Amino acid sequence: MRIGIDVGGTHTDAVLMDGMAIVTSHKALTTTDVRQGIIEALDAVMSEANTEPGSIEAVMIGTTHFTNAVIERRELTETAIIRVCLPTGSGLPPMCDWPEDIGAIVGNHCYMIAGGHFFNGKPIACIDEAETNKVIEDISSKNIKDIAIAAAFSPANPEHEIAVANLLLKIIPDANVSLSHKLGRLGILERENAAILNASLGVLAGRVVYSMKAALKERRIKCPFYISQNDGTLMSAEYIANFPALTFSSGPTNSIRGAAILSGIDNAIVVDIGGTTSDVGVLADGFPRESNSHIEVGGVRTNFRMPDILPIGLGGGSLVSEGGNVIGPQSVGHHLVKESLVFGGETLTATDISVANGSCEVGNKSLVSHLDSKIVNTATETLHSMIDNAIDKMRPSEEPVPVILVGGGAILISQQLKTASTLIQPEHAGVANAIGAAIAQVGGEVEQIVSYSKVKRETTLENAIREAEAKAVAAGADKSTLRVLDIEETAMSYMDDDAARLRVKVIGDLELGT
Amino acid sequence: MKKIGTGDIKDLCTGAAFLATGGGGDPYVCQLLAERLLKKFGSATLLAPNEVPDEFYVVSIGMVGAPSVTLEQLPTEEESIAALNKYEEITGKKIDAVIPFEVGGGNSTIPLFVAAMRGIPCIDGDGMGRAFPEAQMMTFPIYGVHPTPAVVTDFYGNHVLLDCKDAETFEKEIRAQAVKMGGMVSSAEHGMSGDSVRRSAVPGTLSFATRLGNLLRSHGGLIDAIQPHLFELFAESDYGHIKHLFTGKVLDNERKVIGGYDVGSTTLQSFDDPEIKMSLLIKNEYLIAKIGKQVVASVPDLICIVEQETSRPLNAERMRYGQRVSVFGIGCTHHYRTPEALKVTEPRAFGFNLDYVPIEDL
Repeated sequence: MRIGIDVGGTHTDAVLMDGMAIVTSHKALTTTDVRQGIIEALDAVMSEANTEPGSIEAVMIGTTHFTNAVIERRELTETAIIRVCLPTGSGLPPMCDWPEDIGAIVGNHCYMIAGGHFFNGKPIACIDEAETNKVIEDISSKNIKDIAIAAAFSPANPEHEIAVANLLLKIIPDANVSLSHKLGRLGILERENAAILNASLGVLAGRVVYSMKAALKERRIKCPFYISQNDGTLMSAEYIANFPALTFSSGPTNSIRGAAILSGIDNAIVVDIGGTTSDVGVLADGFPRESNSHIEVGGVRTNFRMPDILPIGLGGGSLVSEGGNVIGPQSVGHHLVKESLVFGGETLTATDISVANGSCEVGNKSLVSHLDSKIVNTATETLHSMIDNAIDKMRPSEEPVPVILVGGGAILISQQLKTASTLIQPEHAGVANAIGAAIAQVGGEVEQIVSYSKVKRETTLENAIREAEAKAVAAGADKSTLRVLDIEETAMSYMDDDAARLRVKVIGDLELGT
Repeated sequence: MKKIGTGDIKDLCTGAAFLATGGGGDPYVCQLLAERLLKKFGSATLLAPNEVPDEFYVVSIGMVGAPSVTLEQLPTEEESIAALNKYEEITGKKIDAVIPFEVGGGNSTIPLFVAAMRGIPCIDGDGMGRAFPEAQMMTFPIYGVHPTPAVVTDFYGNHVLLDCKDAETFEKEIRAQAVKMGGMVSSAEHGMSGDSVRRSAVPGTLSFATRLGNLLRSHGGLIDAIQPHLFELFAESDYGHIKHLFTGKVLDNERKVIGGYDVGSTTLQSFDDPEIKMSLLIKNEYLIAKIGKQVVASVPDLICIVEQETSRPLNAERMRYGQRVSVFGIGCTHHYRTPEALKVTEPRAFGFNLDYVPIEDL
């Protein structure tokens, strides 16, 4: 059996699963102390199912803690960045496009040294040890321990990032080092940003992971525990202290994956309706469709693998105005249980409309019986067409698609949607996130610049897949379940040698029962 | 005289991405560099071609190579400045103004910050009025400006002097240099007098791209909503003709590198009737647009694509399955409608057995 936990900003959800079957689930408020919230969630699901700690094989945790830290600019440490690129790149130094407030908090400790590689793997310059050591001494004198290193074309050749890290650890043995090639794809500005954010979250990550471990230890759960990352795959908990940035978008990812399990459908649109906003995402072959464009996290441009999510300002607490023609984006948020009409408040919300039109039973229905039926009908139509329009933007084709509704606000939807071939509202939809965390898989990814004139295309692909498989197995995947999730080829303009950017991702089920 | 400052760069880059007809690469890196340098050195002065004194000596400056390389080998202002210095040293001429190769992608911003740093004007015009993949397709050589002497500069500050007999040879040589020197080089080339600028450049394109980018960016929503404004803007410009060709979603995007260029095709499917499909043929830029078997636009006219919901111009490498786009056909300026220009830019110049029919006659 396994336990999935989602530590969100408002709620900590937990689910106990036996294989793919949901045994028990629980929804509780998130506590300031992560440990306490997890203990409460564990106690709730385990006591209800009467389960012994020894029968738990794995615990998977999804969390928005690190995303929120960046967005709210809190608990970030001062971080140094060493970019290995000279003589290229001096025109655009590290952090040059960061918002001022977060730049100031992280400290703008930016250094550039000679090194890095060209697209063809040849070095731009050799690492100058004396120059590098001078930079490291300066960082050491500032007593900075969190350090990011980014070298030109490191996703294709990480040699120089590793060399600088080795020099660094000689002078600052207790440094927390983030190497950019482990965090992102081509695009040095975005990859470097990811490495800086990651290093800056190091202390918080250490603390959160410690709290999670302490909670499990207190409940005598000795199995491995994992953290889910952006693309729906897991990383082992030991890694999270090193790679907290990889969790940035795991919330929507888990809800989409959870929706897939709850519905048994692999290709659909998933609408996660919360209190203030709804996230519309695409479930493609059991995983969220990734976004193609650059994603900003708290105003910092990154190129993480993130799900393609369209957020809209519609949720259970959204305000209804203009005779029902306008809903949201303002919302009463978590004051819903005080301020909406059905709970005796004075604000007309989307939830009140759903109670009035009979699609759900929440609060006191008599408190909305006086509402003009014209307003109720108009508002019902408005909220359905808002969801319809968002689905229309996201769906992969003009064909109606299966639509899965999850989240607490799913009760708002009472009619068929124009864009939906079928409308699925699965049981346990409220804890889809925790389920998504519980069933996350593990993956391995390879990204390289390849030259098909030197090595044949089939051989190149084969090698890349083998390398990605090895990475997946190293991350804990069961060998027999491996499959290629994605092969992406981008031709490189203007270049000879039939050069292309090749990205291969392999995933597999987490190996349990060891 | 007009000025372009740091606050105009986002608009310029958006407009230039539209006019790049699918090529030009991601303009973000050059946008950032230009914003920083114009902030530091002040706005660049734009000089309209008809304001350029005859005795002015004008040089074209920009980068040549693979756009994806600039994602890792970030450009610096130093290479462009070094290329210009070496150019002056070798030719013994003082450069009075600079001009972009093309108004597509990042190359529209390089001459601007170079001009601001040197305290000389940048010509409000370029050698294409769009983007094309090869040097001989520029209006400069078509209208009698010799591409060389040209100074090609790499990241290390190495210079290579090119002296070629014609623009076709120049294209082969500079392409080979770019591949040798890490995938990307800066080049100072096409030195010309003020009257040559007036004869050969496509005028007003930088300020036009800025206005166009402002329209697209300030709107930022569904393209259909600003179509009348977009049409008005082009109707009043040197381009003149603009047509909405297609709205649909991307079905397929197939590309390969052949002979050092991106070659491939993109297929779009109509929202109204899934049987109606548009195909776009690509060599770095969009060359030919067909609906079914019917050609609806071809080079040297412009084929421009925006994301339908955001009005954001899309370059070919960012196209992906399922994206919803609107396609526009835009008449090239009169510079490309002469026999000598058509000879190097019409569909046959790209190996298609097809006559050029102007967009307004299709």
